[in-house]
Amino acid sequence: CKKDLDVNFQERILVDNYYKSPADALAALISVYDRFGYQDGGLYDKVAIMDVAGDDQLAGGGSSTDINALQVISNYTLTPAIGPQTYLWNKGYAGIYRANILLSRIDAISMDATTKARYTAEAKTLRALFYFDLVRFFKNIPLLTAEVPVSEMYNVTQVPQEDVYAFIEKELVAAIPGLPNTVPAATEGGRLTKGAAQALLGKVYLWEKKYQLAADQFAIVNGPTPGQANPTYGYKLLPNFADLWKVSNKFNSESILEIVHTGASLGNWNDAGATEGNLLNIITGPRGYNPNAAAPDYYSGYSFLVFTKAFFDFIHFDPRNGATVANLDSLEKNYIIGNYDGNGPAGSGNKRPGYTPGYNNTGYFLGKFIARQSNKTTIGTNFDLNFSQDIYEIRLADTYLLEAESIMNATPGAVGTGSRAYQLLNAVRARVGLNPVAVTQDNIEKERRLELAGEGHRWLDLIRWGKAATVLASKGFVAGKNEIFPIPINELNNTKLLQSKEWGGTK
Amino acid sequence: KVTEQNGAPLPGVTVKLDGTTKAASTDANGVFSIQAPVGSKLTISLIGMATQTVTVPAGGRINVSLKADSKDLSEVVVVGYGTQKKSVVTGAISSVKASDLENQPVVRIEQSLQGRTSGLTIAATSGQPGSSATVRLRGFTSFGNDKNNPLWVVDGVVIDNGGIGYLNQNDIESIEVLKDAASAAIYGARAASGVILVTTKKGKAGNISINYSGYYGTQAPAKKLDMLNASQYATVRNQAASAAGVALPYADPASYGVGTDWQSLIFNDAAPKQNHEVSISGGSDKATFYTSFGYTDIDGIVATPISKFNRANIRLNSTYKPAKWITIGENLGYSHAVTSGIGETNREYGGVLSSAINLDPIMPAVIDNPTAAASVYNPNNPLGFKDDNGNFYSIPAGGFQEMKNPLAYQKTRLGNYNWDHNIIGNAFVDIEPVKGLHVRSTLGTKLAFYGGDTFTPAFFLGNGPGGVNATATLSRNLNYLINYNFENTVSYNRVFDKHNITLLVGQGAYKDNNARGVTSTYGNIPATTFDEASFRYNALAASRTTSGSDGTDHRVNSLFSRLQYNYAEKYLFTALIRRDGSSRFGANHKFGYFPSASVGWVPTLEDFFPKNNVLTFLKLRGSYGVTGQDLIGDFSYVPTVGPGRNYTFGTTETIGIGYSPNAPANPDLKWEETRQTDIGFEATLLNNITLNFDWYKKKTIGILQNPPVPGYTGSGSFAANVADMENTGVELELGYRKKIGDFNIGINGNASFFKNKVTKLLPGVTFIEDNTASFQTLGAITRTTLGRAYNEFYGYQTLGIFQTQAEVDSYVGPNGTKLQPNAKPGDLKFANLNGDNAITVDDRTYLGNPAPKMSYGLTINVAYKNFDFTAFGSGVAGNTIFQGLRRLDIGTQANWQTKILDSWSPTNTGATLPRLVQGDPNGNYSKFNSVYLEKGDYFRLRTIQLGYTFPKSITEKLKMQKLRVYVLSENLFTITKYSGYDPELGVTSDAGGGAVFSVDRGAYPQARSFLFGLNVGF
Repeated sequence: CKKDLDVNFQERILVDNYYKSPADALAALISVYDRFGYQDGGLYDKVAIMDVAGDDQLAGGGSSTDINALQVISNYTLTPAIGPQTYLWNKGYAGIYRANILLSRIDAISMDATTKARYTAEAKTLRALFYFDLVRFFKNIPLLTAEVPVSEMYNVTQVPQEDVYAFIEKELVAAIPGLPNTVPAATEGGRLTKGAAQALLGKVYLWEKKYQLAADQFAIVNGPTPGQANPTYGYKLLPNFADLWKVSNKFNSESILEIVHTGASLGNWNDAGATEGNLLNIITGPRGYNPNAAAPDYYSGYSFLVFTKAFFDFIHFDPRNGATVANLDSLEKNYIIGNYDGNGPAGSGNKRPGYTPGYNNTGYFLGKFIARQSNKTTIGTNFDLNFSQDIYEIRLADTYLLEAESIMNATPGAVGTGSRAYQLLNAVRARVGLNPVAVTQDNIEKERRLELAGEGHRWLDLIRWGKAATVLASKGFVAGKNEIFPIPINELNNTKLLQSKEWGGTK
Repeated sequence: KVTEQNGAPLPGVTVKLDGTTKAASTDANGVFSIQAPVGSKLTISLIGMATQTVTVPAGGRINVSLKADSKDLSEVVVVGYGTQKKSVVTGAISSVKASDLENQPVVRIEQSLQGRTSGLTIAATSGQPGSSATVRLRGFTSFGNDKNNPLWVVDGVVIDNGGIGYLNQNDIESIEVLKDAASAAIYGARAASGVILVTTKKGKAGNISINYSGYYGTQAPAKKLDMLNASQYATVRNQAASAAGVALPYADPASYGVGTDWQSLIFNDAAPKQNHEVSISGGSDKATFYTSFGYTDIDGIVATPISKFNRANIRLNSTYKPAKWITIGENLGYSHAVTSGIGETNREYGGVLSSAINLDPIMPAVIDNPTAAASVYNPNNPLGFKDDNGNFYSIPAGGFQEMKNPLAYQKTRLGNYNWDHNIIGNAFVDIEPVKGLHVRSTLGTKLAFYGGDTFTPAFFLGNGPGGVNATATLSRNLNYLINYNFENTVSYNRVFDKHNITLLVGQGAYKDNNARGVTSTYGNIPATTFDEASFRYNALAASRTTSGSDGTDHRVNSLFSRLQYNYAEKYLFTALIRRDGSSRFGANHKFGYFPSASVGWVPTLEDFFPKNNVLTFLKLRGSYGVTGQDLIGDFSYVPTVGPGRNYTFGTTETIGIGYSPNAPANPDLKWEETRQTDIGFEATLLNNITLNFDWYKKKTIGILQNPPVPGYTGSGSFAANVADMENTGVELELGYRKKIGDFNIGINGNASFFKNKVTKLLPGVTFIEDNTASFQTLGAITRTTLGRAYNEFYGYQTLGIFQTQAEVDSYVGPNGTKLQPNAKPGDLKFANLNGDNAITVDDRTYLGNPAPKMSYGLTINVAYKNFDFTAFGSGVAGNTIFQGLRRLDIGTQANWQTKILDSWSPTNTGATLPRLVQGDPNGNYSKFNSVYLEKGDYFRLRTIQLGYTFPKSITEKLKMQKLRVYVLSENLFTITKYSGYDPELGVTSDAGGGAVFSVDRGAYPQARSFLFGLNVGF
């Protein structure tokens, strides 16, 4: 009768029976990557948070509380209880947990040594990447390098941020040799390469103001001749800036590390966060889009992440404007969409708007990611949640500018015309047909703001440059507080974690 | 002939020839015939009447007048694996008999119990016809919703909680609620939250009787909300804008008139409701049968075209006695139900009710002016949605989020339905090799087939989420489920001298959750209505999706034994033990033991007890027992890895399936154990009054809970036995029966009180947010704290309304900082409970308990000659209701109830509500506080019925045994201060619901009905 009670486990695989084969190791590694691409079920991701935290974009959406996590960071009313910090925190720590699981078990798996070394290096790099985000966002965090036993669950404490940085550096240095120079785009595009880990390490050094070390790492990634292809890794700026935002252009030569999305996962509203589709696309689409015949093929979405008027004015005459900003305001005024004043060309309908203005509406949408009919998935019926555009975590224009910045800070005298730093900065400009400019802090700042708009870099740049408090004051940014996110309130309940001083705590 | 004392004939009386198995029963005229030798003895018995023995006289004509057994002492109750005379029962058991339920127009069994017995807290979850209700026995036994549901056992077959809706009310003979652990422990591992035994009607030896009963009537909403009309709405919005110092949205509010009354567009004031049942029963001393056919058809009062319930039932219960010592038989019920639901019930994210409450009354329902239509629509928009007259439905303005024109939304769901077929029953054989020894074997099963068809046309209903459906899709869902119970028992009853002993041993094997299902969806099909849609459209492979589901077997193996003993029905004793093994636990804790014992004493039977007419019967009883609970996830005791942590690599977009551990393991996982002590008495006073009283203390130990795991561990939560909870309560049942002249009066009342307290949580944990309710941006609104009741409301305490700026400025913390810098006169003042320099989440406190402290019910029966009258009502007291009808993120655009007119303004300083201001800078509505809370006390007259039975002179001419007509009203009135639709709010686990009573997000209200009914017997 006891045997009757032993029910078949079916698909539930016991942990003790798992982590035996190379396939198990790969599946465990994929689970770590899963957190790298993790998006919140409330339809936002890291890029969206970073975008609206910055000065160039507003939350937008349907109302002042629509995707509230974005609203409260956009207007700096976030509190330890309300805001996107729980997402950022859990994204990182779940990824770290999964990496810890794999790293603690992979040694016992009998498999090819090179593959084992590669998986190990990938897991370590991802773990470092999660920690780099966590320490930048929260400063005071626990450093966990193994599973936490249930008995110790509530006893974990925070460590000084220096310890976290030291760990990240050590991990990346150890991981780099195990990674391949390149991967076949068709089957492995999106997996970590040496260049991606080195670029990440460069960013870590730069955040620590270890400028020379940063410049050295970036130099390996950017290659000997700025503007020319990196002979080892093949990295090269795309000739046409707008091509970066073509969905078909995945894993192009400018891409160092990207978050991969697909339209094939049949994501649905029961669990929007589980989709492998790109949620940034649908949330940046205009509401109630009413195109006329020759209009762009935008797909109606939720009107988040709109650019401010000030940013539009800043980028208006830059060659990157067209690919960066979807100017619904202009489309409407020119009767390409809608006909809100009834005065447009015949046949375009009576008086009606070209789109429904959302909250914070400026008419300037995020053209890099806006949802398009042509990008609609061909699989399943839920188009909204299954756009397949990838998101660059690191691309070459970013590392060019970061190397220039590192050199400028490491050796301020070595940035004159024709110098490597000069070449780097101006390769980015030359690609869009702009004349060279001198390497100065101001020019690098302007270039990053224009080149990387809407890609989630601006806020972190402002924090790194120490300019967030000034630039973001009008949005409600409070110096000495908003440089980091509060530790999510649920992490403090019943645990030994302490809230950061910036947020009224004692840590 | 057998009659009552007043001469009325008694049908259905059993007449048995002593010493034989020969038996007969009386017909509707009370007449029986039996072949018996002169001088032999006949035993004449009927439940509720004192049994008599008569000697057959010469000539054979016997007239017997049975006395009503006012003490109900011979009444028999079902106790689980047997029956027992009520007078010797030592546990706390409440029963509801068929006669209490007759002609009550309830659709589900939970409603039959509401207000009928003590110990139960019952609240409907929705007024949608056919919806279930939340049932709690003696407070909260555990955490969560499912674990607090009682175990339902129908004719010995364990039925899952959701499946109990298949029963036809008219087929029920009795319902027994086993309240104390001593009674319930015979169901061991699954009995912690109480056991409800349902017995269906059986045939009786005697003539065949045919009965019809049915009713027909209409239903209407008992109450609508008082919402602002268009001009009031415009005025209030202007007021909010002016307080915020922004431009007024409406230049001339008065010009909008009354506007659209969205509620009247979706409510139906004449929704039909009908029920019909025919039953045939009869038998001989060799066989009996009871068979019935029932049909119920109800239209909902909200969005009737998409709110319907229809059920057909067939029942066949029979027994055969091929030999004196063997009985075989079966109890079999079949039901088929077809249901259409409005979709989102008690949810503020769209749906017809929420939309009707939130939508702006200025917006028209349908645009009949084409120029106006074009301002909203691109006429070329292929998804534009039109009504049957070809007019576009209006579209909510931007910012209304999920709210949709309810008429348009209704049309998108037209035709969709869910269906089920249930076959539930058992077959048994009972062998009595020697007198008093019964060997019984029962095989019970539930076969269920269920699913639904859903068609969604392509539509454009608005710019909010879910407002656009780009392609028409058709989806079909099919499932089946096979559960079984196999039980074998041996019982032996022996009476020697005054000792009466019954011993039972048994074994049971159970399997449930053996379910399988598939769903297939075709997208992009060229259909515009449900009727046109078909899977014969060969949708492209890329537009087809399928998914499947598998249940995980839940198996329980049991051994049990019970001893019942009484001496002269005066000293009573019962002891039992059950051992259960469950597939949900690891090897360490696979088996659990559940013992109990109970004793009783009937002092009124003692010689020393003074004979009197005041206290004619008294029974004191006490019990202690242990029951269990194994409702947790399968395989929680071992660590498993799970799939679905996926990621995509490469331009070929191949999705890799990632695996990672689900949660840390807990091999020490074991039963949740509930220990309960019960002390009570039953008494009969003045021969007319019966009184039942119980006091209990119930302690649940090791509540299975997924403790809150800090996010930094990165793993999911695991199941653990961590919490303890205690319930104490008292229950009272009172009955009165009296005949005064031609009047027969019966009054029954009951009341239950309970107090619930969490006594232990994980070490170091002072509170948890387990199955908590949450509301939009307010976040969690309930919390379970050590030393307090399960899931109390938790938010900011208010200290009134600031009347002047000086009051705002002088409200400071210890260091002089203004506590509410954003406040202006008219805003709420929040208590600074932790005494620091700001109002933060740490200043929150307990604002009320969603669970009622008290539940009660009252039935009054009056019969006068051929007229009968019944009034039945029930209510609750002591709970707090959260009213969250408005969508916060729609801001001032969402409509209000008229109570908002009493919000603070410089000219209305005595207002009850804070000032209205766009953006709400002080958080009057975005910080959870008492503006959302109301008292939940109510008393509802559930049914009131007046019947007339035609006299014999007429029925005989019609060749009928009985003809009765009645009129009935359900829900005629409800006494409550609650301002929403309906204060009765059960647990709905929909978005943010939690396992919490009394959260109103626009719940589908209960209907008021007027019915006409007919009872005919042949």
